[in-house]
Amino acid sequence: MDYTNQKHPQNYSQMEDLKTLDLEESVSETIMRDLRMIAYKLKYVLIPKEQEDNGKELRNWDLWGPLIFCLALAMTLSFKADSTTTSSKSDVFAIIFVLIWVGAFVVTLNAQLLGGKVSFFQSVCLLGYCVFPINIEAIIIAFIGSYLPFVVKLIPVIICFAWSAYSSVGFMASLVPPHKKKLAVYPVFLFYLFLSWFSLIV
Amino acid sequence: MQNFGSNNELDEKGHVLNEQPKIKVKFEPKPKPSKCPICTIEYYQQFFNIEQRDVYMRIRCSILSWKPEFHQCVGKNPDLWGPLWISTTIIFILFAGGNLSRFLLEEDKKHFKYEYNYMYVAVLIVYAMAFIIPIILGVIMKYILKSELGVFDIVCMYGYSLSAYIFVLILCIIPYNEAQWFFLMCGLANSTIFLLVNLWDFMKKNKQTVLIAIPIISFNVALILCFKFYFFRLIYAVDD
Repeated sequence: MDYTNQKHPQNYSQMEDLKTLDLEESVSETIMRDLRMIAYKLKYVLIPKEQEDNGKELRNWDLWGPLIFCLALAMTLSFKADSTTTSSKSDVFAIIFVLIWVGAFVVTLNAQLLGGKVSFFQSVCLLGYCVFPINIEAIIIAFIGSYLPFVVKLIPVIICFAWSAYSSVGFMASLVPPHKKKLAVYPVFLFYLFLSWFSLIV
Repeated sequence: MQNFGSNNELDEKGHVLNEQPKIKVKFEPKPKPSKCPICTIEYYQQFFNIEQRDVYMRIRCSILSWKPEFHQCVGKNPDLWGPLWISTTIIFILFAGGNLSRFLLEEDKKHFKYEYNYMYVAVLIVYAMAFIIPIILGVIMKYILKSELGVFDIVCMYGYSLSAYIFVLILCIIPYNEAQWFFLMCGLANSTIFLLVNLWDFMKKNKQTVLIAIPIISFNVALILCFKFYFFRLIYAVDD
């Protein structure tokens, strides 16, 4: 069977049909398909215009995307961290890794305890995907940050922080009753603030 | 003519008689009684039964600490949202602010070494103060000293007592010794007065219950000493 001539799936449900055939395809095919899936979901989460069906696409949650972005952020920041001692590199990696997963877990638990009815992993998936803008700003600052004054470094940090927070706040706020929205949204804000602060100071 | 395919009642001509409305019965399995009720999410949902307006009122009660209104604010509804997120905010401020304060003092700004240990120590100290100490005190008060307040009431009170430190610690970033001590003393006074004023009804019962003031005051003092001597210590350059 030859899959190389198939058209790229227009939406995720078409991708589902391909999953049954993945034992017969090459490793590179599988990896490319998974990467396309992650890219599709990323576009969906971060670009508000794509969300025409009110977040239903997120029901097909996955944790590969969040893992890739978490590792990329942790490695970027630990690479950039003070190289005079090896312990601070591993400190940074450990703190970022634990912060992202434990943070996403606690923020989701908070929304559930406030009465939000959402699948646990759906919410962790969304929070993980929204870490991507923080990844971008970490890479920008890692490479050209030492040549820029502090005030100029603040600009991409603030923009990416606002982008991350805005993308996830809409989803989180929709989970809980109206009078508890700020209680569900504040932890999300604190979570991305923590991560942005790290990318700024390292 | 026989109709094998239909379950409905038929009259002589084979027309369907009064179609029964299809009633959808939702089968919900009975929740199994858990062996460990404290371990379930449902147990803790009762402590998140508040609105943003309630949180604002409780923080306001805590900042205006000399008024014994906290029990009126809380009613029968202690919450854990406040203690959890106030303490997490304080951890962030200690980590970011403590290092920022050192950075402002540092002469050699290019080679500033960020101390990541602040994170671990902050998590340990703040969560101990916000959860472990009030749980221990609450258990002692409820089961040994026979207080009417539950353990979670005390946890809620302790959590909101820390809210003054959010503002105090932001101000402590200013790298002047006297200013930092002044702000920390204000925070200590506010937090301790809040706890003592709201526990006064319990403390005035007898001589034993007054003694609860001693651990309350000592833990608060220990907390600000940790803040000053670990996070906001001022390193003076030594002239040889």
